Amino acid sequence: MKTKFDFSRIMKSKITWAVIAELMILLVCLIIRPEFFQISYQESTGMLYGSLIDILNRSSEITIIALGMTLVIALAGTDLSVGALVALSGAMALKLMRWDMSEFPTAGDYSITPMFWVILVALGICALFGSFNGLMIARFGMQPIIATLVLMVAGRGVAQIITNGRQMTTNFAAFKFISQGSVLFLPMPIIITVVIFILMSLLTRKTAFGMFVESVGINPNASRVSGLRSSLIIFTAYLITGLLSGVSGLIYASRIGQNDSNNAGINYELDAILAVVIGGTSMSGGKFSLTGTVIGSIIIRTIITFVYYFGVAAEATMVFRALIVVVVIVLQSEPVREFMGKRRTMRKVAMGGELHG
Amino acid sequence: MADKRIRIKRQSLTNRIFNPKHVMVYATIGVFLLIYLFGALMYGDKGFTTIRTFLNMFIDNAYFGISAVGMTMVLITGGIDLSVAAVASLTGMFIAYGNSVLGMDPFLCIAIAMVVGVGLGALMGAMIHYLNVPPFITTLAGMFLARGACSLISRESIAINNAAFDALAGWKIYIMKLVDGEWVKVKPIAFVNFNVMLFLAMILIGAYLLKSTRLGRNVYAIGGNEQSAKLMFLPVAKTKIFVYAFNGFCSVLMGVSYALYVKSGWNLALQGGELEVIASAVIGGTLLTGGVGNMLGTLFGVMLKSIIPALITFAGNLLSWWGKIATGLLLLLFIGIQRIVVTYSARRKGSCR
Amino acid sequence: MPDKRILEMKGIEIQFPGVKALDKVDFDLIAGEVHALLGENGAGKSTLIKCLTGVHHMDKGQILYDGKEITPTSPQAAIAMGISTVFQEINLCQNLTVAENIFVGRQPMKRGKRIDWKAINRRAEELLLRFNIHIDVTRPLDYYSTGIQQMVSIARAVDVRAKILILDEPTSSLDEKEVERLFDVMRDLKKTGMGIIFITHFLDQVFAISDRMTVLRNGHLVGNFLTDQISKIELVRQMIGKDMDVIFALKRPTVAEGAPETLKVENLGIAGRVENVSFSLRKGELIGFAGLLGSGRTETAEMVFGVTRADHGAIEINEKPARIRIPVDAIQHKMAFCPEDRKRDGIIGDLSVRENIALVVQSRRGALKPMSPKEQLDLADKYITMLGIATPDADKKVGELSGGNQQKVILARWMATQPEILILDEPTRGIDVGAKAEIQRLMLELCGQGVSVLFISSELDEILRCSNRVIVMRDRCKAGELPGETSRQEDILQVIAEGSSLEEDA
Repeated sequence: MKTKFDFSRIMKSKITWAVIAELMILLVCLIIRPEFFQISYQESTGMLYGSLIDILNRSSEITIIALGMTLVIALAGTDLSVGALVALSGAMALKLMRWDMSEFPTAGDYSITPMFWVILVALGICALFGSFNGLMIARFGMQPIIATLVLMVAGRGVAQIITNGRQMTTNFAAFKFISQGSVLFLPMPIIITVVIFILMSLLTRKTAFGMFVESVGINPNASRVSGLRSSLIIFTAYLITGLLSGVSGLIYASRIGQNDSNNAGINYELDAILAVVIGGTSMSGGKFSLTGTVIGSIIIRTIITFVYYFGVAAEATMVFRALIVVVVIVLQSEPVREFMGKRRTMRKVAMGGELHG
Repeated sequence: MADKRIRIKRQSLTNRIFNPKHVMVYATIGVFLLIYLFGALMYGDKGFTTIRTFLNMFIDNAYFGISAVGMTMVLITGGIDLSVAAVASLTGMFIAYGNSVLGMDPFLCIAIAMVVGVGLGALMGAMIHYLNVPPFITTLAGMFLARGACSLISRESIAINNAAFDALAGWKIYIMKLVDGEWVKVKPIAFVNFNVMLFLAMILIGAYLLKSTRLGRNVYAIGGNEQSAKLMFLPVAKTKIFVYAFNGFCSVLMGVSYALYVKSGWNLALQGGELEVIASAVIGGTLLTGGVGNMLGTLFGVMLKSIIPALITFAGNLLSWWGKIATGLLLLLFIGIQRIVVTYSARRKGSCR
Repeated sequence: MPDKRILEMKGIEIQFPGVKALDKVDFDLIAGEVHALLGENGAGKSTLIKCLTGVHHMDKGQILYDGKEITPTSPQAAIAMGISTVFQEINLCQNLTVAENIFVGRQPMKRGKRIDWKAINRRAEELLLRFNIHIDVTRPLDYYSTGIQQMVSIARAVDVRAKILILDEPTSSLDEKEVERLFDVMRDLKKTGMGIIFITHFLDQVFAISDRMTVLRNGHLVGNFLTDQISKIELVRQMIGKDMDVIFALKRPTVAEGAPETLKVENLGIAGRVENVSFSLRKGELIGFAGLLGSGRTETAEMVFGVTRADHGAIEINEKPARIRIPVDAIQHKMAFCPEDRKRDGIIGDLSVRENIALVVQSRRGALKPMSPKEQLDLADKYITMLGIATPDADKKVGELSGGNQQKVILARWMATQPEILILDEPTRGIDVGAKAEIQRLMLELCGQGVSVLFISSELDEILRCSNRVIVMRDRCKAGELPGETSRQEDILQVIAEGSSLEEDA
């Protein structure tokens, strides 16, 4: 039963191993550089500072997208367009704040459009594009990779059209608050991530949506016979992912204080997929774990921060990311799982964590 | 079915021409001609129709085309390779760093890059086949690895200054015409360079491999139905590993070609280039689901993708990012056509005979 | 016919975990004969074939091929020896041309290492001409019908100079003309001295083409018969056998006088799959669907439930017309359906027993009105107890349970929706005797509570013991309807074997 402490079930859990991995990385940090763990409080900003806070703060863009991507991957799909949507969301926001820059040629603490509308429209356009993906996949039965490739290519172009190709800067305090502000001593992005995580958990675990997603992801035929409307479920998942990419885009734009259609959200789709896979959700669909995804995203950021901390070039962290991917996929691959023994005949049992179960 | 003719009538020429398998290629060629015609009508007076403009389209996009040859093969097997641009960038770094910092011969650097690129490709192919890992994830790791390696070498753009290399980059064949019994260069001056020749050579090699070798036919068979290919005892593992290795080879050539084009190496060079390459192949009629595609289509796919920036340049007032949107719309158009062709063939099958 | 045995398999035994798949089975093949291998699902036909082609390895026994003892190690090795197999599914590549499908992997080459396309096309043409097939070999395979495709795969198999050709249900998706064409080819091949092993579920075809037949049942050899010395009825009896295992006394449901019609199906069908099926079902009644595999039983059930969409005919539920296009519609009309293929259409393997049981109830309530884990657990526990599902707890993954228990979970899933019409497609197949009896008991109990049941089974015994009426399917059509109480097994066999010998009459 659920309430009983069941050690073997904990060991089988997908996220247990992700947590252990994260703790081991932190342990290595602790041994080599204890000051890595320092957290200080700065009164002027009312915020906590330190590498650990920084990891959480900086991982939020990917985490937020990865939460949506978790649903998409649980449905045996992928969404490549999220990075482009990040750029799009930022472009839309800056456009609304600065418009054509004729009235106020210099950046400052102002916005032409009220903050409420800035956020609503920026998120709205991303949700719209997300639903475009969903429509192509759920209604017209296109392969997710192809369908989302279209927006991945065209999305940045749309972003540039919105801003007329200009890079605009803002110092609008309300907008900067999204990334620089703090609530309860914590940077705003962390708060936003936590709120979205709670909302997503409620959506998937306090309604039957999560179970439906898993069911369709594991066995679409049986789900159909059982009366699930799979196209609606698939559509919703892509819509949510689009919306969350918009949120991530706002945080990013707020952080750098400008729109950057060329570089905003570059490779985000890859990192988000990676976070989901590390978090224990299989690319072939099925059982998913939002908590696992969050941990996966934090693991990626921890390694980047850690490596960066030792003065290695930021871009070189790619090598480490590659190594994580290789380790994870090798552990998850069927032949290795079979080799690791006594797996049941089920084809879709996934996840490295379970290997040891 | 009751026909008992002894002489079998092969499908007529028109039938063969309108084979739905080729419709994609025709669509590509057709759209290319349409856009070219449009450009000729709009900007003919500004020199859009000159040989120079036409050849420049090749010169500016040859490196993408080279990679598209390998990518087409990968896509026909039903796979995908995201690492191509990163491997090309790594090649550029090898040449630039090896030559400018270590003082190595640039061609030795290319040879080393070749070993690394082909090796990485073969490794990824083996992982995809033996570990049954999705190609998307495997080659994503390959991309991270190659990009990371680039940055480990250097984070600055490094210029390449080597006489032999420069000579290769500057090598040109001018287009001549006969005037009064004498060969003179056409005006405005038009030429093809090494990159264009390399691109066309790779297209020919790719076409030969796909059309005239068992290996090439196995590529199609695997893409059509991998399970069947196994049951027909085709060498599936060998073929898949070869295809990814060959694609690695093409990626390295893209790197060489790009280095010749910009005469430098940069860790962030060609970022997002893998998408351009995949898009070229898809526009050229290659199905991402595998089994369908050919080099003629890819050639025109590359041309179609390069005519858009050319047109935008001529338009002058039009902004460059329309290129991205146009590419996206083209993709959508061709994916739509593919859907229709696939549904059409499926429906026709039911009624046939 | 020269009596030259090209193949002898003696005392073959194969042990799978928990089951003896083959127990002392003998089989032999004479050059130039068509030898039918018969038996219901799970009888061991395909295991025997896989043993011959080196997919499975036998634990005991001996295979003599051309008088020499062989031990096939892989399908490739088998092919190299001259044993070729053609499966039901077309294992060719739809995107390649007909000619290429025959030659891919062993294309003739020109000098200069180029594929000789002319030679490929010419030789493919010649090869197919031998089969009297005149088609343009330069067209892609998917241009042609399944029948032609099947012929092409046989051509590929034959061209490697096979001595033994195994045809594993090649006719399942062929129409009559195509079957005729295939038989012509088989007759031609026979003349060349090739031995053909023919596996099929269509008895008419067996009698039309085979010279001898071997019948297997539950991994045992039942017998070896010459085709002209056995009647169809006798053959069906041999294949199905008597199910002596179940001795439980079962009481047929009693249908109240004037009980309302809950389901009425009129001329329902999908062109080419199953056509013009009509029947009606009353409250508390149990109708059995009998017929051999591929006779249209499952297709009918799927159509009624909206898994596949019917293209003609009408359905009435509780005397009102109902439109059923997708399963959601059927569920709305209080129908329930346990599909034949548990793994593919039934269980959600990675979800827990609890979630699997709650799935349909939840899907009917919609995502926004979730059942609390407590509710799910109560529901699951209720049915785990009621159906005696053997699982340590409700959170165990369904995929880890035994087949019988998986079946019970699916049954529980549907019972939880309180259905009025229950369709059970082979609910007792592949599960042990105890579970089988329990499921039968449960089915009858539900009828007693007023549920109308449509029960599909290959076992005549269980159909006859449970049903009020029996509908017999044959060749994708309804072949007859018999009263359950007064009919004997022979009557059903008669209808299966002879078809329309009984008038259709409710």
